[in-house]
Amino acid sequence: MKPGLLVLIDIFTRGILVYFLLINAAYMSFVVLSAIGILRHLRWTRYLQTKEIFASPMAKPISIIAPAFNEEAGITESVRSLLALEYPQFEVIVVNDGSSDATLPRLIETFGLKPVNRIYRKVLESQPILGIYASSDYPLLVVIDKVNGGGKADANNAALNIARFPLFCAIDGDSVLDRDSLLRVVRPFLEDPERVMAVGGVIRLSNGCLVRQGQMACLRLPRNNLVRYQILEYFRAFLGGRMGMSMLKSMLIVSGAFGIFRKDIALACGGYNPNAIGEDIDLVVRIRRHCYREKIPHSIVFVPDPICWTEAPERWRVLARQRGRWQRGLLQTFRLYGRMVFNPRYGVVGLFALPFYLIFELLGPIIEMLGYLTFVLLIFWNKVDYPFALLFFAVSVVLGTLLSISSIFLEELSSKRYPRFRDIFVLGAYSVLENLYYRQFLSLVRAKAFLDYFRGRNAWGKMEKKGFDGK
Amino acid sequence: MRIYSSLVLASFLGLMAITLSLFLIILVRRAVVQFREREYAARYREIEVELLKRLGESSLEKTLAFADRYAGFPRVLIDVLLNYARLLWGEERAKLSVIFDRALRSRFRADASSRRLVRRLYAARLLGFFVSPGDEAIIQSFLRDPPIVRLAAANAIAQAPSMDAVPLIFRAFETDEVGNAHAYKSIFFSLQVRAENGIRESLRKPLDREKIGILIEIVGAIPICALAEDVAAFAGHPDKEIRLRVARTLGSICLPNLLPVLLRLAGDEAWEVVAQAVKSLGRLGSPGALDVLTQALFSRQWHIRYNAREALLNMGPEGIARLDRVAKQTLDHFAADMATMGLIDAAAKERA
Repeated sequence: MKPGLLVLIDIFTRGILVYFLLINAAYMSFVVLSAIGILRHLRWTRYLQTKEIFASPMAKPISIIAPAFNEEAGITESVRSLLALEYPQFEVIVVNDGSSDATLPRLIETFGLKPVNRIYRKVLESQPILGIYASSDYPLLVVIDKVNGGGKADANNAALNIARFPLFCAIDGDSVLDRDSLLRVVRPFLEDPERVMAVGGVIRLSNGCLVRQGQMACLRLPRNNLVRYQILEYFRAFLGGRMGMSMLKSMLIVSGAFGIFRKDIALACGGYNPNAIGEDIDLVVRIRRHCYREKIPHSIVFVPDPICWTEAPERWRVLARQRGRWQRGLLQTFRLYGRMVFNPRYGVVGLFALPFYLIFELLGPIIEMLGYLTFVLLIFWNKVDYPFALLFFAVSVVLGTLLSISSIFLEELSSKRYPRFRDIFVLGAYSVLENLYYRQFLSLVRAKAFLDYFRGRNAWGKMEKKGFDGK
Repeated sequence: MRIYSSLVLASFLGLMAITLSLFLIILVRRAVVQFREREYAARYREIEVELLKRLGESSLEKTLAFADRYAGFPRVLIDVLLNYARLLWGEERAKLSVIFDRALRSRFRADASSRRLVRRLYAARLLGFFVSPGDEAIIQSFLRDPPIVRLAAANAIAQAPSMDAVPLIFRAFETDEVGNAHAYKSIFFSLQVRAENGIRESLRKPLDREKIGILIEIVGAIPICALAEDVAAFAGHPDKEIRLRVARTLGSICLPNLLPVLLRLAGDEAWEVVAQAVKSLGRLGSPGALDVLTQALFSRQWHIRYNAREALLNMGPEGIARLDRVAKQTLDHFAADMATMGLIDAAAKERA
């Protein structure tokens, strides 16, 4: 082997070590920030109960938008859970986005829907609406039947045209919200109605749990290993990552599965981008860009206790499709809004949030894969210091475990926890195990998403869901 | 390389120790939290049972003894008092105030002026039920606090202010900074008709336009018909926002004698005011407004045309006849389209 190549590989491995230290330091800082944020949140909300928010005349009405594409398995339970929410004034708009299954007939049959002639202004472009349905038995419910627009963005835009209220809550058609989650998530809008543009809540996985009459009746860990890994991942992402980002005033993602936005600002930004793969990050970045350009004081906040339950993939192939799509969405965001990166005009978003996502979230999997590749090459050339490599691997496993255990700690701090002590031990064990193959699998999938993106493979892909009836 | 290896080994051991400690902390914390929750629930039950006994008796000494006995558990006592204050009125509520004065008043004042946000937040939620004359400055300071305290204070005051507190709230509103005025909105709204005298007196004072706007808006939101004349007096105000709110409020009050004021506002120079006045005329439903509403269908502004259409639909057969006439004319196709859509709606409603 040429000495020049060896030097190059040596420099590269050192670079990877530095990157490894930086990324872990960043995530650990987020955990600390999140812990501070969650404790502060708990201290404050202990004295501000949800019934006080319910009684507050300042609570603005909310339009809940739930797009549904082939969701016949769980749509009625989801809609029931939405109609049972505690909130002074709200409407539920379900968008049947050209489903080919029995989503619409099930809705019509269950809720006694009838076609209505509802007047609306078409502010945002969307695929044609075929019909609007309402029910005299469920006056809060409106169902829109429309031609499929190829994604959630188009469905959300159609619903935004119909929505009557100043705030809207974008959720997934198969999600279940905790009964008081709207009251909790709306709090930042009450506290600071002028500045708060959007609020995100926590997403948790419903697999294995018992859902009765549209509400989470029993919280249990699922038996499926893959879902257990994802539970830890969601803890890290929401309670660690997003809470930390919110503390740094750098929130860039309000999950498409559960987030509340001001309708006026969403309309001012042109609504959802129907061509976006990740419509949630796309909208938030455009809101940020709009506010910075127009010099509008704004904030986008994460609240750690309102919870939305959603179903996670239980098969590796489906998970790979989902994560690939998320990564392609992130990549597309940087292609569309790359000019904001390192641009002081966009404040903390341009100088910190976007660069962070670029370096650690977008490029992370590629750098990790290159690291593995280099390691294989070094084995091939017999240049590996095995005791050191083993130690380094052990450190990386412990660091990963520490991050996961920290996120379990954050989950313990926030209110909704798995009730049994045994669950903590199981999650603790999975915190170790996930470092052995799950993380590597995800990195591979996310790195592959780059190739897919540049090859133009940007379809959503089929998601398999059991629905809540099956639990 | 040996140095690196030692460093990595040390890191490994250190991280391992931190991870295991954190895991242990999680387990211990959960056990402690569960114990505290049980303890709180037991104490709450104990205080609640004792309080119910005291409420059924007339002995002041026993009530004071109760307050002294549980003053050492302020968090639980406050929760019990607040929960019962929401349910009780009259003599029983007065007893709760006696307990509060004895056990918690000094603590409340100290918390209200504390530098720590959490303590102020803690005190803010007691305002509505246990405010007393002289607490005016405390209300103002709470409503100037960061949003979370402001919200808690506004909620607390809004829920159950005593009659003594009403003039106090209006005095605080008049003397407070303009930027803080919106914080009072929900409080006024929750007062409902009890706010009448306060609003009337405040409207007669030379207040900032922002504050006048809030008061006018509240009259319409509650609504308070007795204040119609006081609001109508602002129909000629130089500020467009004030005229707009007058038009909206008069539409909510819906008294027939307000027709001339609304007709005047329907000829305003600002289209926003016209649109609102047209909408309010529709709510009034007076035949005297038919000509103005028909004319409004020919406006260049979509909002005015739309409101005129809706207003005419509200006016019954006379309004529909006017829509029919406009739909058939060919001079202004925007007006004709708007009228036609109105007729389609009317037909659909009829069918339904």
